[in-house]
Amino acid sequence: MADDVTITIDGQEISAQPGQMIIQAAMDAGLYIPYLCYYPGMKPFGACRMCVVTAEAPDREGNYRALPGSPASCTTPISPGMRVTTQSAELQGLRRGIMDMLLSEHPHGCLTCHRIELCGPADICLRHVSVNDRCVTCPKNERCELKDTVRYLEMEMDTPLTYNNRHLPLATQDPYWDMDMNLCIVCARCVRVCDEVRGDSALTLQMRSGRSLIGTSQGTSLLESGCEFCGACIDVCPTGALVEHDYKWDKAVEEVNSICPHCPVGCEMKLEVNKRNRLIRSIPERHAAANRGQGCFKGKFGMEFVNRRDRIKSPMIRRNGRLQQATWPEAIDFVAEKLPGYKNGQYSLVASPRATNEDAYIAQKFARTVMGSNNVDVASNTRPEILKPLHEQLGHPAATNPIWDLEDSKRFLVVSSNMTEEQNVLAVPIKKAVREGSASLIVIDQRETELARHAKLWIRPRIGTEAALIGGMIRVIWDESLEDNEFLNEYADNIQEFRNSIIREFDLANVERITGVSREDIQTAARLFAEERPGAILYALETLPRQLYEECSRALVNLALATGNVGRRSSGLYPLFTGANEQGARDVGCVPDSLPGHRQVNDERHRQRVSGAWDADIPPSPGIGIRELAGAVDSGLVKAVHVIGDSPNFTNGELGDFRTALDSAEFVIAHATFENSVTELADVVLPSLTFAERAGTYTNLERRVQLLRPALGPKGDEEADWRIICQIASRMDAQGFDFDQESDIFDELNNLITIYGGITYGRIQAGGIHWPCLASDMADVAILYQEPQAESKLKLAPMSMSDVPEHESVEYPFMLARGRVLHQPDEDIEIIQIDGRNAIQRDETIQLHPEDAAELGIVEGEWVEAISSRGRAAGIADLTGPQRGLVSMTTLFGDLITALVRSEDPDPMLNVPTLPLISVRIVKLTAQVAAD
Amino acid sequence: MPTYEEIKQTADERWKNLTEGSESWIRVGTAMCGHSAGAYEVIDALRSELESRNITAQIDEVGCLGVCYAEPLVDVLRPGTKSRLFFRNVTPDDASSIVGSYIAEGELPADKVFGYLGEDSIDGAPDLNDIPGIARQQRIALRNAGNTAPGDIYQYIANGGYEGIHKALTQMEPNDVIKEMTDSGLRGRGGAAFPTGIKWSFMVGSPGPKKYMLCNCEEGDPGAYNDKGILESDPHTLLEGLMIGGYATRASNGIVFIRHGHDGPIDRTEEAIRQAYEAGILGENIFGTDFSFDIEVALTGESYVAGEETALMEAIEGKRSQPRFRPPFPAAYGVWGYPSTINNVKTYSYAPEIISRGAEWFSSIGVNRSTGTAIICLNGNVEYPGLYEVPMGLTLGEVVNDIGGGVPDGKELKLLQTGGPLGGVLSAESMSIHIDFDEMRDAGAILGSGGIIVGDEDVCAVDLTRVLVAFCQFESCGKCFPCRLGMEHLLEITERIARCESRPGDLDLMRSVGNTMEASSLCGHGQLGFGPIRSALTHFEADFLAHIEERRCPTGSCLGPHIAPKNTRPYAHDFAPGAS
Repeated sequence: MADDVTITIDGQEISAQPGQMIIQAAMDAGLYIPYLCYYPGMKPFGACRMCVVTAEAPDREGNYRALPGSPASCTTPISPGMRVTTQSAELQGLRRGIMDMLLSEHPHGCLTCHRIELCGPADICLRHVSVNDRCVTCPKNERCELKDTVRYLEMEMDTPLTYNNRHLPLATQDPYWDMDMNLCIVCARCVRVCDEVRGDSALTLQMRSGRSLIGTSQGTSLLESGCEFCGACIDVCPTGALVEHDYKWDKAVEEVNSICPHCPVGCEMKLEVNKRNRLIRSIPERHAAANRGQGCFKGKFGMEFVNRRDRIKSPMIRRNGRLQQATWPEAIDFVAEKLPGYKNGQYSLVASPRATNEDAYIAQKFARTVMGSNNVDVASNTRPEILKPLHEQLGHPAATNPIWDLEDSKRFLVVSSNMTEEQNVLAVPIKKAVREGSASLIVIDQRETELARHAKLWIRPRIGTEAALIGGMIRVIWDESLEDNEFLNEYADNIQEFRNSIIREFDLANVERITGVSREDIQTAARLFAEERPGAILYALETLPRQLYEECSRALVNLALATGNVGRRSSGLYPLFTGANEQGARDVGCVPDSLPGHRQVNDERHRQRVSGAWDADIPPSPGIGIRELAGAVDSGLVKAVHVIGDSPNFTNGELGDFRTALDSAEFVIAHATFENSVTELADVVLPSLTFAERAGTYTNLERRVQLLRPALGPKGDEEADWRIICQIASRMDAQGFDFDQESDIFDELNNLITIYGGITYGRIQAGGIHWPCLASDMADVAILYQEPQAESKLKLAPMSMSDVPEHESVEYPFMLARGRVLHQPDEDIEIIQIDGRNAIQRDETIQLHPEDAAELGIVEGEWVEAISSRGRAAGIADLTGPQRGLVSMTTLFGDLITALVRSEDPDPMLNVPTLPLISVRIVKLTAQVAAD
Repeated sequence: MPTYEEIKQTADERWKNLTEGSESWIRVGTAMCGHSAGAYEVIDALRSELESRNITAQIDEVGCLGVCYAEPLVDVLRPGTKSRLFFRNVTPDDASSIVGSYIAEGELPADKVFGYLGEDSIDGAPDLNDIPGIARQQRIALRNAGNTAPGDIYQYIANGGYEGIHKALTQMEPNDVIKEMTDSGLRGRGGAAFPTGIKWSFMVGSPGPKKYMLCNCEEGDPGAYNDKGILESDPHTLLEGLMIGGYATRASNGIVFIRHGHDGPIDRTEEAIRQAYEAGILGENIFGTDFSFDIEVALTGESYVAGEETALMEAIEGKRSQPRFRPPFPAAYGVWGYPSTINNVKTYSYAPEIISRGAEWFSSIGVNRSTGTAIICLNGNVEYPGLYEVPMGLTLGEVVNDIGGGVPDGKELKLLQTGGPLGGVLSAESMSIHIDFDEMRDAGAILGSGGIIVGDEDVCAVDLTRVLVAFCQFESCGKCFPCRLGMEHLLEITERIARCESRPGDLDLMRSVGNTMEASSLCGHGQLGFGPIRSALTHFEADFLAHIEERRCPTGSCLGPHIAPKNTRPYAHDFAPGAS
């Protein structure tokens, strides 16, 4: 970083970063210059002119020369020795002049009312100002930046300018947000955040001159404009023009920062609570390292579940086939009496992906030491193999680099991931870098995802051939000497053996034949990715057959190593799981095969270490994971199932028929917030607190350990999950479950888990830190593997070309790849009203390979239907499919959002349907059927 | 790839065929002035007349000779003569007499004869060099306008075209070109009058290889048509100027930015670019040197502010045309983020002659720090409106009275409005002011892009101001607050005064809003937006006071129908969020 520059603002000397604008330098130094269109973190715009200053700077000879006129401090870069004046009668006069004009078209009853001095926040009176100008009609009354600025300017409010209300109708029919253009000051923050930060451009400035106002960029609704409903526009709006639809008028009495429970990005959200103990708004924290003020539809608009009245508020025990209310002692007794009958492997525990590190640690400790069972897992842990090669080849089963370093990456390879919906904010730096032109994106996915629309190259290989494709890319890299030899020699092992395996196994003609991807595309992808560094690889592998997760992940780790994209800033590998604290649960040992600190259960030495610390025995062989659990219950191996939290994967079919399996279990314990498919079968239901009512820690996908803080009080008798388990354990006379609060548990686990060694609650108060952090006096490590290790080098793993699993269903011979994007510019779309709310109506398209279509006698433009065992979907045939046996269909994100708004699920964001490939058959529809 | 000499030889042969051949060469002015006066109907009539009489003749569409009031202008060069005979205000009905008597017989028709130009006199026709509209012109940028066909690159080359770029490429280093331009004293003709050579030198050091030379033909000023005039009359001179600039600044690409809807200039520029590529004058390794240059045309929506240099870059990039803030300046960060230099059509169009004939020749024309010529669009209440290229240093009186023939119908001249709507208003006392960037600015008006609108005694200064303010308000891009809001209030107040419904303190209120705009607006549009009102108040305060104090419009013109966009504040009945 360049040396600081010293400048003087209003006589006060401050030091600032070269290249900063005056306003940034002032803000960093804690000095205030009024502004309305500027927003920290966004590019300056220079429209409101509220931040005008006068300045002088020395020329080459050192003589001070005034900058011409009154420059806007948001667009004027600092220079050494600059002297800035932010306060003078002339400047205040200019600002007041502009503000006068601004208020001539902004309702300002809140400012001109003569009772203003007597009026408190959220006070309501009925007199004094005309109705549509009244303070109480503004949803941002008392939160408005305009009002703050007026007060700063000590305005007299006696301008002779004509006041003119715009009298525009409100737009309230889109999901989640309301738009009142009568309050808009046209600062374009919303338009800019949408375009510049989020990469969406759903909002735009319409018209010009005095008529320019904010509008949707297509048609009349956000649904057709490519909106991802992240709410960023609302968060930056300085007035009440854009606001959340729900709790629009509610006033917050408390603000608490906590971590969003919806995905592993771990966004820090400011939770606003009203006086009735309801969470009314959730605002991404601008200063948070993990999300930098960004959020998504889930975190912004998916928090209502905590307020619902139908939450389970007291324990229930099933008696005579019906759940009946019970007291906590009754319920704990009930469980503690039953559980001893299921020790040693007959007991299985499933933790919620929202369980905190403390919950997960206690849960696995309970299962292992009290129940003698390694059958513990996180409900969302359906693809553990994507982390395994990271562990084996590099050292840690986790992403190698932090999220926002991606802003400076030059290349992205995204494999089979629907980030926009699963880890939304992670896609923000990617889209930003790609749209700014500083990076290129390669997407490998059969589905059309939002990121595929931004890709320079979108490859759709035959299903299950991704590993072969990556192998082919590595082959090209080696053939064309694009590998990073310097890096490999210094950091990596096994180079020769690996290289031989690539040369032997990955003949390009063969790869081309197997993957169905042309040689040119393989070469282009390889060259594109290897020619410039740093490059990052992000992979979820959602569309791969299960048996190929590990092989493909290994191929990607190899690719990263071969191109020198490990241990460097803005490079690295990001395995994309879905649970909010899945990383933390794994770290603290809440998985069947590893103990706290990623110690292997079947490793004698590791087991000894943990069991020594706990002073208890640990069974020596890995337990049953979530994917095998249904089978194990079916076969009678597992008889008692302990499910913690509301878990998404039980309902979407990824884990087989979990419900039937639970039905056959002898004893089911459910910790739950809502009645769900598990509580229906449970023998005992224990009400648990939501994230918003709890303390604890989450570890996000960049290994950042962050603090949850309780924002709400309990609704009834709910308890934190760890407390419930500790009570059960104590009731079963177990030792080591005597904790008063979350930090006590954390103090135990950071002793046991080396990589958490230096992390304490005290250290993460001001913001989370990354593991590994070995000691309290050591810094955390954001980027793994930066230093070459002589004794344990990074390992290249030899690869082989494996068989592609055949798809053999006769009834459903095709695989349907369902994609979802924000916007499809070429497709006709109509906005209709359902129950007074906007919704999308359009004809979908089903894409088929032309040879498949010919066999089925389907011609372009005909109506066809894809039928699976679980449902059906019709669309117009489009014969441009890339692979035989693959059909695809891309729906709009707006459809998902309207479905979520209408959903009766108490926590719809937890159950956003994922998009795995499904088996279908394709039938022709007659025109008549299609019309129906 | 042909050499320059080969191309020149072809061009000369073709020119000889045209001028010394056996057929008549008919030239019809089809620039905007001719077009709107019906030139194309005249061409059709001439063709059918020729056909019916079985006469073969070459008909070329040419540009504007400057004397727009005489359009449609048709001239004929008969075989064997060395002078062109001009017919003025030709209608299709005149075709038979032009073809029948002059082309066929060599006899002058009874009417519509305008005069002749050339070495030989034509009996019965006046010498056009005797009329001030031709005589007082000194045409550099417009040297070919009205004389050669814009659609034929060889006519341009035969008249010395592409000689300048050839000279630059073969005999000069890029820095020599910049020095020549600087020495010539040429100042930007887009309005700001910044020295062109110095502007070009800013981009020399910017990193390449991709750098842009941009040409601004947004030309949205009401009453300005000199950029369009050049592109319609002689697009190749612009292309050559762009190439010279590109060579001097080591740029790789040129973009000619033309306002959407200027169909004549767009079509002719695109055709000229096509022909230049075909002739090997544009593209890779021009004239066998290592200089390569590409030119394309870019269009935008109809927005006045798109003529602001950074807004223009936004428009080229396909964005909403709003000004960017500076720094970074275009020479460092221009279109698509590449270094860019932007000049007006007129500025570029001088470059070929400056390079061919030298800086000394150019700087000898004009006065003081305003060298060369001014291209004046003279219109309004004037006898002879037109497009006149005159040496700098003429007085406004000479332009209006001598060339323009003064105010018609024996009325008094009341005011001049110069430099576009953001320029200023001058009173009748201003006739001794010289056409000189600095002198005009000091007088409170600007030469700007060269438009001069003449108003006679029937023009009300308040009404004129209202129209100008309405234009500026309508054309504000709406980005920066002072301009977006200030123009609205200025218009509202001006309209109020024009309706004789002013409120006490309105003049002060206008001044206060104007000062805020001037001091704090982002771009020139807002900074200069109060200019028309200020200069009108300076020279014609009496008109305002009549409206304010006596509640009457002295000329009555304020009571006429409003011709400008009305106050455009959004109202619910015609604006809904999301409606396009």
